[in-house]
Amino acid sequence: MKKGILWVLLSWLIVAAFVLASCGEAVPGEQEEEEEEEEEEEGLKEVSRDRTLILIWSGTEGRYVDHELWNPFSIGSNHQNGPGIFYEPLYYYSAFADEEIPWLAESYEYNSDNTELTYHLRPDVTWSDGVPFTAEDVAYTLNTLVDLGPAVRWGVDVEQFVDEAVVVNPLTVKIKFNVPAPKFHHFISYKYDIGVYMVPKHIFEGQDWTVFGHFDIAEGWPVTTSPWRLALSTPEQKVIDRVESPDEWWASKTGFADLPKVERIIYLPWVGETQTAEAVIKNEADASLDLRPHTISMCMEDNPNLISHTFHEPPYGYVDWWPISLIVNCEHDHFDNKDVRWALSYFMDRDELIDVAYGGAGTASLLPWPSYPSLDPFTEAISDLLEDYPTNEYNPGKGEKLLTDAGYTKDSEGFWVDAAGSRIRLEMLGWAIFEDIGPIISAQFRNHGIDASYASPPDASDRMDRGDFDGCLRGHGGSVAGDPYFTFRMYQSATLAVPGGHMINYYRWHNDEFDRLVDEMAITSMAEPATLKELTHDVMEIWLEELPDIQVVEWYHRIPMNTTYWTNWPTEDNMYVNGAFWHLTFGMILNELEPAQ
Amino acid sequence: MKLDYIAKRFGIFLLVIWLALTVIFFLPRFSTQNPIREKMNQEMLRGGYVQVGMEQMIEEYESKFGLNKPLWEQYGTYLSDMGRLDFGYSIAHYPKTVKSMLSEGLPWSIGLLGMTTLIAFGVGSLLGALLAWRRAPQVLRYLFPPLLVLSAVPFYLLGLVLIFFLAFENSWFPLFGGYSPGTVTDWLSISFWGNVLHHSFLPALSMILAGIGLWALTMRGMMVTVQGEDYMTMAEAKGLKGSTLFFRYALRNSILPQVTSLVLALGHVVGGAVLVEVVFGYPGIGTTLYHAIREFDYFVIQGIILIVIVAIALGTFLLDVAYPLLDPRITYRRA
Amino acid sequence: MNRRILAAMRYTRRNPALAVGIGLLLAILLFWGIGSIFVPFSRTSALSVPASRAPSWEFPLGTDRQGRDLLAVMIAGTSLTLRIGLIAGFIGIFIGTILGFVSAYYRGAVDTIIRGSVDVLLTVPSLLVMILVAVALKGGLTVEGMALVVSILAWVWPTRTIRAQVLTMRESGYIRVAQLSGMSSPEIIVKEMMPNLLPYLAASLVNAVAAAILASIGLEALGLGPMESPTLGMTIYWVLHYSALLHGMWWWWAPPIIIIVILFVGLFLLSTGLDELANPRVRRSV
Repeated sequence: MKKGILWVLLSWLIVAAFVLASCGEAVPGEQEEEEEEEEEEEGLKEVSRDRTLILIWSGTEGRYVDHELWNPFSIGSNHQNGPGIFYEPLYYYSAFADEEIPWLAESYEYNSDNTELTYHLRPDVTWSDGVPFTAEDVAYTLNTLVDLGPAVRWGVDVEQFVDEAVVVNPLTVKIKFNVPAPKFHHFISYKYDIGVYMVPKHIFEGQDWTVFGHFDIAEGWPVTTSPWRLALSTPEQKVIDRVESPDEWWASKTGFADLPKVERIIYLPWVGETQTAEAVIKNEADASLDLRPHTISMCMEDNPNLISHTFHEPPYGYVDWWPISLIVNCEHDHFDNKDVRWALSYFMDRDELIDVAYGGAGTASLLPWPSYPSLDPFTEAISDLLEDYPTNEYNPGKGEKLLTDAGYTKDSEGFWVDAAGSRIRLEMLGWAIFEDIGPIISAQFRNHGIDASYASPPDASDRMDRGDFDGCLRGHGGSVAGDPYFTFRMYQSATLAVPGGHMINYYRWHNDEFDRLVDEMAITSMAEPATLKELTHDVMEIWLEELPDIQVVEWYHRIPMNTTYWTNWPTEDNMYVNGAFWHLTFGMILNELEPAQ
Repeated sequence: MKLDYIAKRFGIFLLVIWLALTVIFFLPRFSTQNPIREKMNQEMLRGGYVQVGMEQMIEEYESKFGLNKPLWEQYGTYLSDMGRLDFGYSIAHYPKTVKSMLSEGLPWSIGLLGMTTLIAFGVGSLLGALLAWRRAPQVLRYLFPPLLVLSAVPFYLLGLVLIFFLAFENSWFPLFGGYSPGTVTDWLSISFWGNVLHHSFLPALSMILAGIGLWALTMRGMMVTVQGEDYMTMAEAKGLKGSTLFFRYALRNSILPQVTSLVLALGHVVGGAVLVEVVFGYPGIGTTLYHAIREFDYFVIQGIILIVIVAIALGTFLLDVAYPLLDPRITYRRA
Repeated sequence: MNRRILAAMRYTRRNPALAVGIGLLLAILLFWGIGSIFVPFSRTSALSVPASRAPSWEFPLGTDRQGRDLLAVMIAGTSLTLRIGLIAGFIGIFIGTILGFVSAYYRGAVDTIIRGSVDVLLTVPSLLVMILVAVALKGGLTVEGMALVVSILAWVWPTRTIRAQVLTMRESGYIRVAQLSGMSSPEIIVKEMMPNLLPYLAASLVNAVAAAILASIGLEALGLGPMESPTLGMTIYWVLHYSALLHGMWWWWAPPIIIIVILFVGLFLLSTGLDELANPRVRRSV
């Protein structure tokens, strides 16, 4: 029998050994790795922590799947995950500063009827392998996009306007349009997440853009004009190093700009809110994707070095270009009646929503475009209309009156029914990011007699696209500057001004006069603000009366920024650009960051 | 006769695989979801911008992936691809291939879950056998109730509790992941292994604790039955030592059904791991599969499930063939 | 009457599992029963009470981030989750019994098909199939929908065990006698076999219910459940979604876990106890 006991003890010993082994060889203390580990690896040079920018961003379930994809036009790639800084633009645009910043191009001009756009490129710009950047690259990029069309990102956007791009001389490229395109320059400039990347012709020519990875560190791929070189890219992390000397980057070489102070950027995959919060509190990361208001305020309490766009005050972030609205399917029963839509708007208590969901750290959204400086004049221009049509007012009395006037009554359970006895049933769809506000809106509606519910089914996007929904929560990715045309475009049911340019009309709302007016805006240049304001007023007269969708809240990016190692982040005091480092404007932030130590 | 039997078993093996493949092919396609549309919408969600011409892009990629062909044609291509083990490209992560996704996740799943299943099986069966053995130390009886309780708890909830106490409140173990973010996977480095073991401790612990009780219970049941058999009384009467009786007679005769369950369990290691991997953020095949299902990424789903089914079916087949060797009482005459 | 009670109590000493199991489940039912009298169901809706409050006299289990009274949610969730388990469990046993009987009694081709399907389906990881189905369904699920999804594979294991039992019973003496005396097969099944099978069916039912609850909680925790229903699994989902752990909202994540543990341990002990009742040969004091 003793042998039996021995066996038992032995098995427990094995388990104990396992336990001890893991404890003993564990990484000391810290939950996450620093580059102390990295310096042991071969090939990566040593860069101290105070010259490294560590970002927690993206990935799937804690690792990257696109680490070998550095060609931003392939639909599997995402410029937000790193490739964005490798491809410099012709122009940057900053929505906050309302400034255009010439970059690879020095200037541009349109011809008189907006059918030709000419860019004058900056001389002395070279790719990282020594080949000069010329008009050939720009022309090649645009022409290939026209050829490939729907097979690649931005293909159709470019294809519908551009006829061909012609090299006039190595520093001048002329783009010929097949319809007047006064907004094309604005479109291809880098702003937020929109912009067209310029790729090196000598590398991309002959490759299949849909699968080409442009990834080979030994060869020095991805080839770039920027001061960034890819050092390591694995599922666990992406390490991007800056060039050593100012001569290796055209901007610092010619004195146009200084070399960024950041010497290394490390992208670490996003694992979860809890883990990211831990990391920023412990100064193991410098910035990350948005955190919730409750979380970011807690982090800032624990670590005062952390700041947000609004420092330590609510709303802890800046307004994103994506105002949220509740879209109701205007082709369905009940929702085809504008009075019902307005009633829904009056039933929604946005203040309560922001209070509960965001702890008060948020703002309601007045219109389907964000409250940005260059769009504010348009909001001003329609202030008279907003008095008659208050899109943010919470007034159940008004809502009830609208419904009763339209023939609705309340049934025995307190829900509104029409003359035929059919209830206003509002099943709202959304994605996981709206789960903070969806159930609350649903509860508010139910309290006012609308039979509402909220769900985020896996096929939400599919159903939204096909119009198989009663209501859904979405954000508007429309205009950020210049004029509200890009926002209005989303509500058109058809367009003649931009052939093939029809977008999905989620609202299923049709109004011919509206379509006509917006088409007029399409061909009006941004240099005619008075006309644009007038058109906006006319357009909004229709839109506000009809209210195709109900405005909810503005979308904030509450990005934690750690000042322990880096300062001069974009904040409300220093709004040089939007602070989201995953946007195409990240290059601008990198040029501005100053080391704190 | 033996060959006959093996051939029949092999035939069933192939049949099972074919049936499973067919179900896996049709099931996701019965929902009217369009994976490419989902993919496009995901991209849109990231940047907030709906691509103009999204409909055209969707059409383009549908034809690229052959999704616009009639269902029967797709099925035929699918079967021939599976036969050649050509899993193709992932839709959601194009142009990543399914094989690369598999090779990235498989070692983790097999490593963690295979190990924990084996450990739970070993310790649990031994414990269960001892519990049924009259002459085992009494102190073990006291272990039984808590183990029972633990085995009744869903292991991912147990995991959550463990995370809270051991990783959050006390920082002894990492909150998440297979290894610390930012490390380089260098399988030759001792410190990397240490890091991996450190990260795998909590998921392993919760699975082992939850699993031990179950193995112990079934083993105990078997042992009780075996102990009542005549040959045991005979062996005792012969005066054999306690440990000989325990190991060479009782244990050996009870182990067979346990091993069958073990084979099934090992096969399930991949599929059943989804919740563990989600709770602990372990970078294995389970989460890959879960995301693929949510994204309707047909090709990844098909590839992973094929591997799972083949593993299980192969295991069962080998076991079926080996059974007569292990237990001479079992013969296979035609029924 | 007294003697029966005494006999029952003496039995529980030999079969503590049964007693403890029943006790735990009764406790849960009491919690739900009494609770639902005092705490209105309306408090399980969002915005019904102030949000993010720690436990107090007014809200003994505090409130969550969307303004739900967590005590109400626990009470409602227990009953909803149990309901899912019971519906799926009964469906599983019902189908499983029919298939098991038919397969074992009639043998032949029918048996091969049923047994083959069971074997194949056992190899497929059940959670994955359920995820596939849940994801393929249109729109969000309701509680009843959840029960149906879970019941899709709930019959597989019962079929197997019941078939095994019937196979054994089929060869026994009294069945032969019944056959010889001219009883028709359905009569034999119902009058002779069923009564002897009841303890097994009961044990299988308990197991099926437990498995169904486990599956439903798993699906809900992954986010595939009925979003507006305050089931226990959905509470776990919200806990994970809002990082309740990070914010120290222990009153949010601890109660559902405790209730789930009690529920499962209770069901498990009940099942073990019924096993012993059904199979005296396994009787053994622990």
